[in-house]
Amino acid sequence: MLRPATLTALAILALACGSLLGLARAGSDIATLATLGPYLTRLIASAGLQAALSTLLSLVLGTGLALALLRRRFPGRELLLALLTTAAVAPTIVIAFGIVAIYGRSGLLGSLARSLGAEPPSIYGLHGIVIAHVVMNMPLVTRALLHAFEREPGERRRLASALGFSAADCFRHLDWPVIRREAPALAVLVFLLCFTSFAIVLSLGGGPANATLEVAIYEAIRFEADFVRAAALAGLQLLICLALAAAMTALTPKSREEAGAERNATRPDLFALRRLDGLVLILAAALIAPPLFSVAGGLGAMTTLASAEFVRAAVTSAVIAVSAGLLACLLALLLASGARRLPQRSRLPDLAAFAMLGLPPFAFVAGLYVLLRGFTDPASLGLVLVPLVNALMALPYAYRLLAPALATSAQRHGRLAESLDIAGWNRLRLVEWPALRGALGAAFAFATALSLGDFGVIALFGGPELTTLPYLLANRLGAYRIEEASALALVLVLSAGGLAFLTQRWSARHA
Amino acid sequence: MLEFAGLALRYPDFEACYDLTVPAGALCAVIGPSGGGKTTLLHAIAGFERPSAGRLHFNGQDLLPLAPAARPVSILFQDHNLFPHLTAAENVGLGLKPSLRLDVDERERVAAALAEVNLTEFASRRPAELSGGQRQRVALARALLRGKPLMLLDEPFGALDPGLRREMIDRVDTLRRSHGLTVLMTLHTPEEAAQTADLFAFVANGRVEAAGPWDRLTAPGGPEPVRRFLGR
Repeated sequence: MLRPATLTALAILALACGSLLGLARAGSDIATLATLGPYLTRLIASAGLQAALSTLLSLVLGTGLALALLRRRFPGRELLLALLTTAAVAPTIVIAFGIVAIYGRSGLLGSLARSLGAEPPSIYGLHGIVIAHVVMNMPLVTRALLHAFEREPGERRRLASALGFSAADCFRHLDWPVIRREAPALAVLVFLLCFTSFAIVLSLGGGPANATLEVAIYEAIRFEADFVRAAALAGLQLLICLALAAAMTALTPKSREEAGAERNATRPDLFALRRLDGLVLILAAALIAPPLFSVAGGLGAMTTLASAEFVRAAVTSAVIAVSAGLLACLLALLLASGARRLPQRSRLPDLAAFAMLGLPPFAFVAGLYVLLRGFTDPASLGLVLVPLVNALMALPYAYRLLAPALATSAQRHGRLAESLDIAGWNRLRLVEWPALRGALGAAFAFATALSLGDFGVIALFGGPELTTLPYLLANRLGAYRIEEASALALVLVLSAGGLAFLTQRWSARHA
Repeated sequence: MLEFAGLALRYPDFEACYDLTVPAGALCAVIGPSGGGKTTLLHAIAGFERPSAGRLHFNGQDLLPLAPAARPVSILFQDHNLFPHLTAAENVGLGLKPSLRLDVDERERVAAALAEVNLTEFASRRPAELSGGQRQRVALARALLRGKPLMLLDEPFGALDPGLRREMIDRVDTLRRSHGLTVLMTLHTPEEAAQTADLFAFVANGRVEAAGPWDRLTAPGGPEPVRRFLGR
């Protein structure tokens, strides 16, 4: 009999394949695909270069920041951590707004340059995309590495003190083994996120030269209704991303039980590196904080939001986001339940979860739309498809949070639960819930925040009947209604920040 | 001689104050209930914890102003004594130079230290390829190589089989005698060191509540807390 994890994985993969087939069948002019060769090569090369640069910078800066945060305790450390979480979960369209507000020609630095008599460079192009991607992904790297560093047994730090390790010795023997273990999977994840980036590339790309496959698919569907081309591009992106997802699965370190007696033991390199750490912390804060704080300008424009349109968009966003959050958690839990069967664990749930990283949401949703339009009213499909696709897009993150928690629980108590015949709902309630609730809260908040700020699928379905806050923000930005846009951006950042704060409180309480 | 008097440590939920004198070259077994402050005492001597008051002297030298690496102390924990990415020889070599840029003479000293704990043929293995007892012997070799006269063992053999535990305690005793070390060793099962240790210190509630040779502590009429702890 197929188990829930296998059934869920098969259902997700069938949905993905079905949508792509539906999309491919909708088109008729297969011959046009033959002309795509040089275009595709250029597209992949430029997206690959952009993603590689973004990944390299995010990894180097994120690692430096994680080490500085590991070594230092200072007033405002918690605020900086909350800022990092906010940057990681802030809607991409808000990050794009913040980058323009700080680095744009009319932004803070642009105005400063003009007041000094210099003509500021344009933010649109490869450099703008890379800056935005670093602002978004460096916090992701920092949080993941900091978590890994802090899980190392404190005895090693005490040993380093007793053996008189210098700062270089500490890096070589304490930090580098952790970086070498964690960084490859993180690098693939960040590359994947940047390679499939949509809102940032659309807003800051400055033209087709820097387009990603995702943007090309959107343009093929939205402006040219060329479903065959969209399906071909989507298939290609899916192949590349599946290969990267497989690499990430292979590179993700196995969960290790290395509980030490003392996690808070101090390191011997605290004094030697305080200047370097201070510099890194200031630079990181200077890179991340201004784009996020730039939306504070929206505080004075909140009155512009007093409209029925805003209320409708806020309610729609909330309904979509909460539905997507719940669905993502449910699917991730079902997939992660495969981890109970250690050591005969199947890789199929991993594949289904991480395949979503590579599946272009536009191709996916357009394929589903084509498949379903004969059965129901197309206008009502948006409200169903947007949360579904948002949940599936959040699935890899929710799964990454829940699967290790469930695997650890299975390692620790699985055999005991089996011997006591505690199974099904009772096992979830009595054995797994205590280990799971922290991760579940984080997964729900993360998936909800991701959906709340999504400016992807909604770009296809959005209109007067279906408007979300990010859609409204993009609409106001396009109409140069900057005051209203900044107020909307503030609402979105506060929502994401609030969710991040609640997640941190919940996780700390249930750690 | 190791002396500490009024050595006080304060935490939000725990206060400790230790007094004890251990003769030079002695093996002192530190026993007592879990959470009683045995590890805290060893960490204070090693320099990992900063006492708020008191004296801590070894052979007349005040240890309190010294950083952990500058103290005449080597320490072994119950686990995580080795770095998993280094071989046994490299882990021992850390005791000489953390940079691991060893010259020929230093490499010979590493080999000799490994030979002293019968691990010559395991020199190129990583910790994951060694048994629990072998790992602790590697850590012991490193401690010996450092040449520090005071050795602290924080339940280092707690995870080993009883037979192996006994063997390791005997090995520590032999090395202590041949190298002239003063040893403080916390133990879960004090009976295993009854024939070896010169002195037992019973630590509970953050204090050394009783100290003396095994026979005196366990004799009828001996200290009540010790007899209760031992179930006698």
